[in-house]
Amino acid sequence: RTTCSSFKITLFYVIFYGCLAGIFIGTIQAMLLTLSEYKPTWQDRVAPPGLTHTPRSDKAELAFNPRAVETFLAHTKALREFLDKYDESKQKDQMKFEDCGDQPADYKNRGDLDSDVGVRKACRFSRALLGPCSGLEDTEFGFKEGKPCLIVKLNRIVNYRPRPPSSNESIPEEAQPKVQPNVIPIYCTSKKEEDADKIGEVKYYGIGEGFPLQYYPYYGKKLHPQYLQPLVALQFTNLTRNTDLRIECKVFGDNIDYSEKDRYQGRFEVKIQVEES
Amino acid sequence: IEELEMRYTTSVDKGLTSSFAREVLERDGLNELKPPKGTPEYVKFARQLAGGLQCLMWVAAVICFIAFGIELGRGNLTSFDDLYLAIVLITVVVVTGCFGYYQEFKSTNIIASFKNLVPQQALVIRDGQKNQINANELVVGDLVEIKGGDRVPADIRIITSQGCKVDNSSLTGESEPQTRSPECTHENPLETRNVAFFSTTCLEGVATGVIINTGDRTIIGRIASLASGVGNEKTPIAIEIEHFVDIIAGLAIFFGFTFFVVAMFIGYAFLEAMIFFMAIVVAYVPEGLLATVTVSFTSTITSVCSTSVICSDKTGTLTQNRMTVAHLWFDNHVHAADTTEDQSGQSFDQSSETWRSLARVAALCNRAIFKPDQEGIPIPKRIVVGDASETALLKFTELTVGNTMDYRNRFKKIVEVPFNSTNKFQLSIHELEDPLDLRYLLVMKGAPERILERCSTILVKGQELPLDEQWSESFQTAYMDLGGLGERVLGFCHLYLNEKEFPRGYQFETDDMNFPTSGLCFAGLISMIDPPRATVPDAVMKCRTAGIRVIMVTGDHPITAKAIAANVGIISEGSETVEDIAQRKRIPVEQVNKSEARACVISGGQLKDMSSDELDEALRNHPEMVFARTSPQQKLIIVESCQRLGSIVAVTGDGVNDSPALKKADIGVAMGIAGSDAAKNAADMILLDDNFASIVTGVEQGRLIFDNLKKSIAYTLTKNIPELTPYLVYITVSVPLPLGCITILFIELATDIFPSVSLAYEKAESDIMHLKPRNPRRDRLVNEALAVYSYFQIGAIQSYAGFTDYFTAMAQEGWFPLLCVGLRGQWEDVKLQDLQDSYGQEWTYSQRLYQEYTCYTVFFVSIEICQIADVLIRKTRRLSAFQQGFFRNRVLVSAIVFQLCLGNLLCYCPGMPNIFNFMPIRVQWWFVPVPFGILIFVYDEIRKLGVRRHPGSWWDQELYY
Repeated sequence: RTTCSSFKITLFYVIFYGCLAGIFIGTIQAMLLTLSEYKPTWQDRVAPPGLTHTPRSDKAELAFNPRAVETFLAHTKALREFLDKYDESKQKDQMKFEDCGDQPADYKNRGDLDSDVGVRKACRFSRALLGPCSGLEDTEFGFKEGKPCLIVKLNRIVNYRPRPPSSNESIPEEAQPKVQPNVIPIYCTSKKEEDADKIGEVKYYGIGEGFPLQYYPYYGKKLHPQYLQPLVALQFTNLTRNTDLRIECKVFGDNIDYSEKDRYQGRFEVKIQVEES
Repeated sequence: IEELEMRYTTSVDKGLTSSFAREVLERDGLNELKPPKGTPEYVKFARQLAGGLQCLMWVAAVICFIAFGIELGRGNLTSFDDLYLAIVLITVVVVTGCFGYYQEFKSTNIIASFKNLVPQQALVIRDGQKNQINANELVVGDLVEIKGGDRVPADIRIITSQGCKVDNSSLTGESEPQTRSPECTHENPLETRNVAFFSTTCLEGVATGVIINTGDRTIIGRIASLASGVGNEKTPIAIEIEHFVDIIAGLAIFFGFTFFVVAMFIGYAFLEAMIFFMAIVVAYVPEGLLATVTVSFTSTITSVCSTSVICSDKTGTLTQNRMTVAHLWFDNHVHAADTTEDQSGQSFDQSSETWRSLARVAALCNRAIFKPDQEGIPIPKRIVVGDASETALLKFTELTVGNTMDYRNRFKKIVEVPFNSTNKFQLSIHELEDPLDLRYLLVMKGAPERILERCSTILVKGQELPLDEQWSESFQTAYMDLGGLGERVLGFCHLYLNEKEFPRGYQFETDDMNFPTSGLCFAGLISMIDPPRATVPDAVMKCRTAGIRVIMVTGDHPITAKAIAANVGIISEGSETVEDIAQRKRIPVEQVNKSEARACVISGGQLKDMSSDELDEALRNHPEMVFARTSPQQKLIIVESCQRLGSIVAVTGDGVNDSPALKKADIGVAMGIAGSDAAKNAADMILLDDNFASIVTGVEQGRLIFDNLKKSIAYTLTKNIPELTPYLVYITVSVPLPLGCITILFIELATDIFPSVSLAYEKAESDIMHLKPRNPRRDRLVNEALAVYSYFQIGAIQSYAGFTDYFTAMAQEGWFPLLCVGLRGQWEDVKLQDLQDSYGQEWTYSQRLYQEYTCYTVFFVSIEICQIADVLIRKTRRLSAFQQGFFRNRVLVSAIVFQLCLGNLLCYCPGMPNIFNFMPIRVQWWFVPVPFGILIFVYDEIRKLGVRRHPGSWWDQELYY
């Protein structure tokens, strides 16, 4: 191969890849132009929403000893960090936040997604609503007493309006009292039936002990930068000690679904073990 | 004979003693051919599983297992992908291994067919008594008796013989039965009359003889060991494929190892880096290729594509293998008879009175008869009892005169003298057709000069003229002319016997010839030849245009060989041999400049005296070669010489003794009809109709398949780049994985298999028989241009198509391209159940996983769409696809439809997401890669246009594969 031909071939490939890269970047740019800034084109995989809890745990396992701070330090830290943005002091700005009432209410429409109204106000959600799990009085979130708190949220999905259950058919009997208008109920129970009496009482804190509808829909990161999801705090007040307890929490609603493969869709499972010697 | 008795300590009338025979048996072993010590079967099978690619796939499978085991051990098992992958890889290796093993198995059971030749029982004289024993218990010195129909049980020195004839055709290729008698006629054991060979058949007569060689020491045993000793030359196509597989394996290791190092360097864990290595190997190795090639391209015909020399037999291959009347000489003119196989040629003027007399002699003086019940069969195909020239004459008269049998009945035969070698003529005496004419008719045929001696008159235009000097001279000219054509010439004459001297009832004595055998009336000459097959001259012509040299190797007489060679065009018109030039210039042969002679005829005797250098020299100097009077062993020498000159040699053969040459040749071609089993087994290809033209058709087919194989490989290779790049980008830029290993295997082993096979059915682009044979050292199956064009151009476009579709699917679901970069760590974090996308939506791990599967599917679909464009562009390498036509290859069209259907099935069949990681994707995403497909098509059309417009240019050199 002569110098001339290798020069030619180099030049050829520079041009060739240049053109290809140009075409590639062009098509990607063109594709991005067709996308809405506010609303994803499709929501095939993200809906129905996941149900997630804080603190997160390794292999969905919370094991701690109330006497030993170091066993739950990471959990309480995660909770404190998570609740940080729910501080009332951070929700003072009247331009960004508004009160949506502390009773469950209907969806709060803030105009169409792509209308020109601009940034929308977010509903305040005070961590005080979470009672003993708010971390205001008990900074250890009940872990010290062996009554751990879990804070649960429904994953955010743009323009998603969860619908409360319209019939009681799919809801287990014990959970039925929790059904009330304008709230997505959450109910926790033991995974294994024989453990049912070992879990003891589960207390629910939050507006209507579930996810109230006035916090929906979510308008996306751009239009709803201050958005606060409604939270529900669970407190397990009377857990049997030194036992592996598998607890499943589920939310109920017409457009909430569960999947065998996805253990965090509309429900979650957590293993709790309180060690005490 | 006494010497013989001494040497083998035997007795010619009592044979060996049984006890001594047992001793010898223990010393020499059984009288049978030992199979060569082959590699054991399991080793052969294991070798099939341990090729370059196979080893890589084993490594990949092992890594999969390890990864699976570790995941299982840690208890955080998310999917069975690794296990599936390992199983699929192993299955692919084993299945292709089985294919390969089967192919090899078919080609290596050569000794098995030699075994079939061994006789079962033999009549042996031991202790003065005749015993029937198993032939494998015979020993040297045994006295055996053979009779017509027996197989000769070992190499035998004949002691007594009564009309014993053997068929040596399986050994030496001579088709005529050979007489066997006690006299030694030749020093060479193969030529001498007093030795009968192991495994040949005794046709008639009885003989006794002493065994001189048994088992592997017999002539045929030596040939068998020679055949298995001659290395099994790999067919050119096998060499090409190995060459290509080595390159692929090397590149796969190179890529895998590079990225293994890169991954380690970037900071991935060792196990992760190993998995990357495995994934790159899986992506880069064309798993489906081995299967495709084995299924559709290993037909042996592929091997003939690169043939540059064909060494062909004459009899039966170039010729029809039946004597046919070619010329007649009467009325002082040479008349040409119709020699075509189907009697479609021109006939000659049959109005002359002389012709009628000649035909009568030919019909009457002939002992050959048709076998009965053959009315429905065309005359040339009927079976005749009689020797070759009588058969030819019988068929000839049947065709020209009409019902010969009936004709002979009308001229009642009184007496006849059969042909013998001292008289060199045959005569018979008949009554005349007309019952009132009481004369007898004497008809005679024989060697022309002998016939002429006995004639005093000659028939010209029905008139008997005295045979003077002038007529003798014209007879000589005609005889020489016909003889020069390589034809066997017979003279015919007759005589009406005087009714007074030979009245009805006269006792003709054949022994003392009490009737005139001279002063006859000469009728004419008839010459016969084994004419070339009608298709052969065209085929030889085709070879010439295709740059293939045809060399004739025959056992026939040089003159006949040369005549046929000239007839079919092996020696082309105007070419002269050294002898021809010498004759023309009237100078001695030594003074002729050898380079002037294009043609050359070398006889076996000359060949024996030539050194291999001289033979190479001769082959180099004379493009048109004919070897005559060659022994089959010399065939091997010729083949080796051609190979030394760098040719790819195809050799035809039929006898057992041809098998070394057939094995040594790059392409051994055995005759399907006349060929022996051993020859067929040694061959790479079998000619079903024994016709030379079929070899040429084979070459044409082979070239087409070679081209198509090239296309198919180019098609298969292309997609390895879009399969590889996702991993490279995944490792280096840390985007969520765009394409999974299982999906890759689906492309390799399911959707793309059919289209790559369908390219085998593509028609030739141009007249491939006008190109030179490919040079095996330069024109590789997979050359640099092919790899570069497939990988770095079409493959690159396909990769871009895949990534465009990938980023589209991600962005439309909420993950913008810039967010994707560096996302890998969080994306694959099993604990993270609320990862935010570009819109602030929170995704659980499983949701992300399904999104990843969506990306796999989208990338898969992109590759499929681009591969459709790819298969369309691969239809041609030079012509525009429009010139080739889109729908002419039906198989290809249905392959595309099949590919699309399969793609749709994989995407939309319920249950796929959790089994094979396919997701039902949005219909729009099928169309994202379409512009890239069109780009591939248009770009390739531009490439082809450049190649066509500017042959030899830089563009042509770099971009034509």
